[in-house]
Amino acid sequence: MNAIRVLGQMVKADFKERARRTSFLVTLAFTVFVGYETFAGGIVINLDKYRGVYNSAWVGALMAAVTSCFLSLVGFYIVKGSIERDEQTRVGRILAATPMTKAFYTVAKALGNFAVLSSMVAVMAVAAVLMQLLRGEDRVVHLWALLGPLVLIALPVMAFVAALAVLFETLPVLRGGVGNVVWFFAWMALLVAGAPPAAGNGPHYAARVEFADFTGLGTIFSSTRETMLKINPKFTDSFSFNIGGMRPTEKFVWNGIDWTAARIAGRLEWAVIALLAALLAAVFFHRFDPARAGLARRRKNPEAPAAGEQGVVQEVAGFGGAAAAWSGMLTPLARVGGRTRFGHLVVAELRLTLQGQKWWWYAGAAGLFIGCLSSPLVAGRGDVILAAWIWPLLLWSQMGSREARWGTGALLYSSPRTLGRQLPAAWVAGVLVTMATGGGLAIRLLLARDAAGLEGWAAGAVFIPSLALALGSWTGTGKWFEAIYTAWWYIGPLHHIRNADFMGTMAASNTPVLFVALAALLMASCWVRRRTQLGYA
Amino acid sequence: MKLSIEGVGKSYRGKAWALKAFSLELGPGVLGLLGPNGAGKTTLMSILATITRATEGRVVWNGADVAKDPDRLRAVLGYLPQDFGVYPNLNAVEFLEYLAAVKGLDAATARRRIDELLNLVNLSDVRKRPLGGFSGGMKQRVGIAQALLNDPELLIVDEPTAGLDPEERVRFRNLLSELSGERIVILSTHIVSDVEATATDIALISDGRLVAHAAPEELLRSVEGRVWEWVVASADLQRVKEAFRVSSTARRSDGVRVRVLTEDPPKGAQPAVPTLEDAYLDALALHRAGVTA
Repeated sequence: MNAIRVLGQMVKADFKERARRTSFLVTLAFTVFVGYETFAGGIVINLDKYRGVYNSAWVGALMAAVTSCFLSLVGFYIVKGSIERDEQTRVGRILAATPMTKAFYTVAKALGNFAVLSSMVAVMAVAAVLMQLLRGEDRVVHLWALLGPLVLIALPVMAFVAALAVLFETLPVLRGGVGNVVWFFAWMALLVAGAPPAAGNGPHYAARVEFADFTGLGTIFSSTRETMLKINPKFTDSFSFNIGGMRPTEKFVWNGIDWTAARIAGRLEWAVIALLAALLAAVFFHRFDPARAGLARRRKNPEAPAAGEQGVVQEVAGFGGAAAAWSGMLTPLARVGGRTRFGHLVVAELRLTLQGQKWWWYAGAAGLFIGCLSSPLVAGRGDVILAAWIWPLLLWSQMGSREARWGTGALLYSSPRTLGRQLPAAWVAGVLVTMATGGGLAIRLLLARDAAGLEGWAAGAVFIPSLALALGSWTGTGKWFEAIYTAWWYIGPLHHIRNADFMGTMAASNTPVLFVALAALLMASCWVRRRTQLGYA
Repeated sequence: MKLSIEGVGKSYRGKAWALKAFSLELGPGVLGLLGPNGAGKTTLMSILATITRATEGRVVWNGADVAKDPDRLRAVLGYLPQDFGVYPNLNAVEFLEYLAAVKGLDAATARRRIDELLNLVNLSDVRKRPLGGFSGGMKQRVGIAQALLNDPELLIVDEPTAGLDPEERVRFRNLLSELSGERIVILSTHIVSDVEATATDIALISDGRLVAHAAPEELLRSVEGRVWEWVVASADLQRVKEAFRVSSTARRSDGVRVRVLTEDPPKGAQPAVPTLEDAYLDALALHRAGVTA
């Protein structure tokens, strides 16, 4: 009983700590936006040319699908970082000195994450009620039909995401930016694994997918299919869930999911997996032991021992020169802070950006540079540059957030002309890293006198660090850049989507002016943000 | 060289005032800013270091309003915040080189200065070791070094002795005293002995307001003839605490030696030589009683 009370207190404190941050309001605002988009018809479920009448069942299923498909991706990035926060605030050290077990802690953290994600589900539930009433196609609210899908489809997904975020945080490799990228692709894999079938495969689908249906779309599909076949026996199993896609022309009445034991088990499976993931996290959790936490840091930088380890830098006591005159040890300086040191500052920023990189990172970058240079122009522009411009992802993601992450803001912001000099220098350093890693393609394009291609490349070189700097400045963390860039890289350049392909990977998708303009906007937003960070700008 | 703080106030989100109507004029020397935790010291330090904007009033550096031209002050400012971080993968030299570049030092000057500073704070032997492995005291010394990088005219140090061991603390105080000759040093602390050893001027702050601003000798004079000591039985200690303003107590074999501040000495009490701690406690008590010293 006492354990449950303690667990409750931990979850409550964790939730309150996050709920009182401005970022939580942004999270809820984003959820409201998604809810509104659904209401406005921007996100729809189609069965052939049909959609359901907006009754409680259909609205509930639609909201559950939106939550489990989209908020699961974003939710991971929202909740990931709860253990890191305990580390940074040093609350973790206090907790580590209590009798609390590691499993208890990781489960509590997962529940804290779940509480945050549940609040997003609650917003979607309110949105669902409003949507049904405002749409007015059926004003009778059946609570279970409306909320059942959110409870049995969305909440287990959120539990899974909550626990997985904790598991990622305890695994040294997945703790940082690599984990943020991995989650994007894992999420895609989960979507695909549970995706409804191609037309005509419906009969085989239900049995196969029951336990791989992460998003719950399979459950919605198999249930709506039963109704659909009664209305239209020639239904071809055409089922789609999309944003801004074709709007259905016909409507049918669907009264909700028949929650059989198998279906409920299929959903609760994700909650069980969540619990297992939270318990597995306990195996890897370092319990804030600086020696174990240092293992990860040493892997990253063998020169960097952790405090408390045998390899810790030997304490060197006191100040130099015992009884000597201290001030005599310092040569007076002429006035400093001149206006001619911008290049020097760029070099300093560049060194800071590249700090701690290993030989293999440079080897990989060099390989990609040569790859861009030596590949046929089409391949270089289309494929190799894609790899070259995801390679420095973790360097870019430090931009703008470094000061918040390491607590050096006060040192920096009390220095002269941070706004006019340091911010541009940080941006130039980012551009130089981008240009260097993708430089092979630029040379190739120059040699081929491909001016349009070169413009696309240059636009990418200024756009990427601008995006990184802007997101880092505003969020104070690199994870949003890692998430958004990876998704954008996948959607735009990889699929050569016009107006989304910031690398200009193909002539047809090359829109350099757009991305230069976007880069300018992003840098303007950085300037505004930095201005607010400075007491006096 | 003059720093004027003119009626400065700071409220957070329009609610409680962390600092209110604070005015002070400073010239070269060490100002010890003394006050209890939560008195508003760090808020004042942040305003003077141009980190945060005053809600009301203004700060003037050599005749120029800092709000209008903050870089003029920043160019000659050395600031050691109460809480600061370091980049753990950089070593001490790299970290200081980065901040030197941000502060506008050219590479050659920065290299020479960093060598001198690392010698000064006795970190030369570990100059190439990543900062992530440094102890709290060593990081604090890196912080002290960065604050002196640009040979500042205004040096603001906020709780600088936190994390330093007793020997380092004494040495740091000496360093501050020596540095103060031709610059303004503002030392914010709640440790009276830090101020006692270094300050040429003392400002007492409580509840966001300036309680007193005077030379140490002047503050000591304010409690002269009002500090008394005597030995009481342990059982009587609570009664004495209720009756007098107790400055300190010390256990002895024959009871407890009590030091009190009072106009009317108790029977058997001997006059004692006042310390800055007595003056500090007296001023705070008077302020809390609604009487400004």
